Amino acid sequence: MKHPGPLFTLLAGVVLAAGIGIANAATGTTATSGSAGAASTSAPPPPPTSSAPPPPASIAKPNPVPPRADYAGRVDGGGASVAVSVRDGHAIAYVCDGKKVEAWLGGVTTDGRLDLKDGKGGTLVGGYDPATVTGTVTAGGKTWHFTAPTAKKPAGLYRATPKVRGKAAKVGWIVQSDGSQVGILTTEDTSTDAPALDPAAGSATVDGAPVTAESITGLSGDGDF
Amino acid sequence: MTAPATRSGTAGLLVPLLVGGVVAVVLGVYGSVHQPTGVAVNIAGFSSGQSVKAWLASVVVLLAVVQLISALAMYGKLGGEAPSWVSPLHRWSGRLAFLVSIPVAMHCLYALGFQSFDTRVLVHSLLGCFFYGIFVCKMLLLRRDDTAPWVLPVVGGLAFTVLVGLWLSAALWFFTTFGVIF
Repeated sequence: MKHPGPLFTLLAGVVLAAGIGIANAATGTTATSGSAGAASTSAPPPPPTSSAPPPPASIAKPNPVPPRADYAGRVDGGGASVAVSVRDGHAIAYVCDGKKVEAWLGGVTTDGRLDLKDGKGGTLVGGYDPATVTGTVTAGGKTWHFTAPTAKKPAGLYRATPKVRGKAAKVGWIVQSDGSQVGILTTEDTSTDAPALDPAAGSATVDGAPVTAESITGLSGDGDF
Repeated sequence: MTAPATRSGTAGLLVPLLVGGVVAVVLGVYGSVHQPTGVAVNIAGFSSGQSVKAWLASVVVLLAVVQLISALAMYGKLGGEAPSWVSPLHRWSGRLAFLVSIPVAMHCLYALGFQSFDTRVLVHSLLGCFFYGIFVCKMLLLRRDDTAPWVLPVVGGLAFTVLVGLWLSAALWFFTTFGVIF
């Protein structure tokens, strides 16, 4: 063999990559990345047959899927916030960049998998376990990856339906576990930064009038699931 | 009759190019079918996986500049004969650059995957797959003595160009979008 050096270089790279791969797998970040999930993201899932056994990939899942859970966090890179609430097979998610882009997404959950839509082209695909929800969300032409930890009140998802200049409007807020919050106020024609929410009191002042904010949590069952 | 001792300088290109092509395609396919996890092993002290990547990638680009300059010296383009330490410098800075790039690429592949939701991301995904293909090709070419003299500079130059493209489409974007943060 002539010049073995370059081969050792490649081999070292492969060994390093394998080591990182094992470390990734061992730290449990694969909990929601089973092969079953990979198959279900690109193509619409086949219609379920009631007699079909659960997919084998679910056996490998180290964590049980919580029936009810709330999550709040930020997308990778920090450009937007995401909150997901799960309750008994249904999920509500809200993604919001605090400026213009927002989406309310909903849908059913299957075996810890989320496949949520907002009816306007927005989607959220991912999975959750007792500690985190992770996935990919597309809204307003942007796509983000995210991993969000569980949220405990006052952190979590809130919504309100105030009137602005006599017209119906909608506000969504995400309160992070560190207390920071983002929200968007959407009227008939515009979306703007939402006014500050007092999560403890569950209220905000919109267009000069006090508004009650509704907490959406899967744990306590508030919000329409 | 065995094969003639002096083959045409391009015949030896075939296998390295093929292997490199396979590597690039396999990376792309894996990145596409693997469900991105959004997270991967992080290094302590950094705010996010992305900032780790941006800094590691910057180290790689810096080493790649060393690669370019030392290669120019080895080919006598900087005037005169290169000192004897230039070749080892080229070899080892290249190895280091390759190894430092691995965690970055693993995070890309494992946590983010091959994506095409905007031009920057598509370009970055394509370049990323291409880079490891051309790198493997270059490593295999280094083991041959029968390639035409222009082959290594072209392949090495491609690797350098693609790497800079990768850095521009991700690390520079990261620093300009989120600021120079750790």
